[in-house]
Amino acid sequence: MTNASIDELIDGLADELEPVRPRRVARGSLWVAAGWVGGAAALIWLTGMRHDLAGGTMMPPLALLSFWLIVALGLAAAWSALRMGLPGVGRDYSGWRWAGLAALALPLTALVIGFGDTHAAMEAARPENGLRCMIEGALSGLGVGAALFFWLKGGAPTSPPRAGWVIGLAAGAAGATIVALHCSSNDMIHIALWHGLAVALSGIAGRLFLAPLLRW
Amino acid sequence: MSIDEPSLARLMAASQRGDRAAYRALLNDSGKWLARYFARRSAPHQIDDLVQETLVSMHRKLATWDPSRAFLPWLAAIARYRWIDMLRRQRDEAELGDNDAAVGAEDEAVHAKLSIDHLLALLPPGQAQAITLVKIEGASVAEAAQISGQSESLVKVNIHRGLKKLAQLIESE
Repeated sequence: MTNASIDELIDGLADELEPVRPRRVARGSLWVAAGWVGGAAALIWLTGMRHDLAGGTMMPPLALLSFWLIVALGLAAAWSALRMGLPGVGRDYSGWRWAGLAALALPLTALVIGFGDTHAAMEAARPENGLRCMIEGALSGLGVGAALFFWLKGGAPTSPPRAGWVIGLAAGAAGATIVALHCSSNDMIHIALWHGLAVALSGIAGRLFLAPLLRW
Repeated sequence: MSIDEPSLARLMAASQRGDRAAYRALLNDSGKWLARYFARRSAPHQIDDLVQETLVSMHRKLATWDPSRAFLPWLAAIARYRWIDMLRRQRDEAELGDNDAAVGAEDEAVHAKLSIDHLLALLPPGQAQAITLVKIEGASVAEAAQISGQSESLVKVNIHRGLKKLAQLIESE
């Protein structure tokens, strides 16, 4: 390369080099965990724990299964987002897609149940029975969303739109798991619709609002 | 000096610790590697800009290299991001109707054509033709419409969609 301007650039960059500490996914994970715990603590402090859990009773099996599916989606999406901060051709960031696919079992189950009992489904779909859960779910995930956003802002995500999606999904899923500790409904349609909407809307918000901010 | 992965990784590790001599050597070697990387992907008049932009990005994102991983895939990921960014800017120009921002010299156009031929082959024919006529051969939208038999607005839409698709193809490479 003989271009003088590139040589000048290299001199300039080398002159201003300062030591840097390599970014570690483990450190980012701690921030995500703190965001998750912080969001849960804030929601439970503000609105209280659901009565059955507070009294030491377990969730019913379907609600428990939904809870763990959403936890898995949140963990997979957060892990993918953290890895997106450290670029490399050939690296695979798609773990969240499989967890997302598995989580589709929730709306599918809800649909089947809804077809069997349309009256109960209509009742569960009324906003006054679920809008609050959705909003609380989306807000509870803000801690995880902020942790991932700042991690990726300092990182080098090579596809900001995808990174925006995945941050939003991780935040929404984290929020949905947090709201499950407060919301006492064990109804599958309620969980799939309103808690699921918190995940989907957070994903869309991440794509729309965070992606442009993640360009570098 | 040959550019090999172990020595680049060593230079990069030293650079992260603040060793300026190692960093200068790393930037020089990376610049040569990038010039070859972009030569296969873009028109000759764009290579220097892309190399410089990638070196600056590399400098800003130095901490995102994990010393336990290989260096060249990291550099290639940054280079690819800068390349896609350039394609996006071209797409935006197409959207704004700035259709004169085409490759000028004839030999450059030939090189550009060679380097992106395999990607254009993956696009629908209408999009590939619109991009080839306007972005590579330098025709105006009106001329491209006349040659291809597409309406002017279809030419613009095809350029927009085609460049978007190209960016996606490169991302999934």
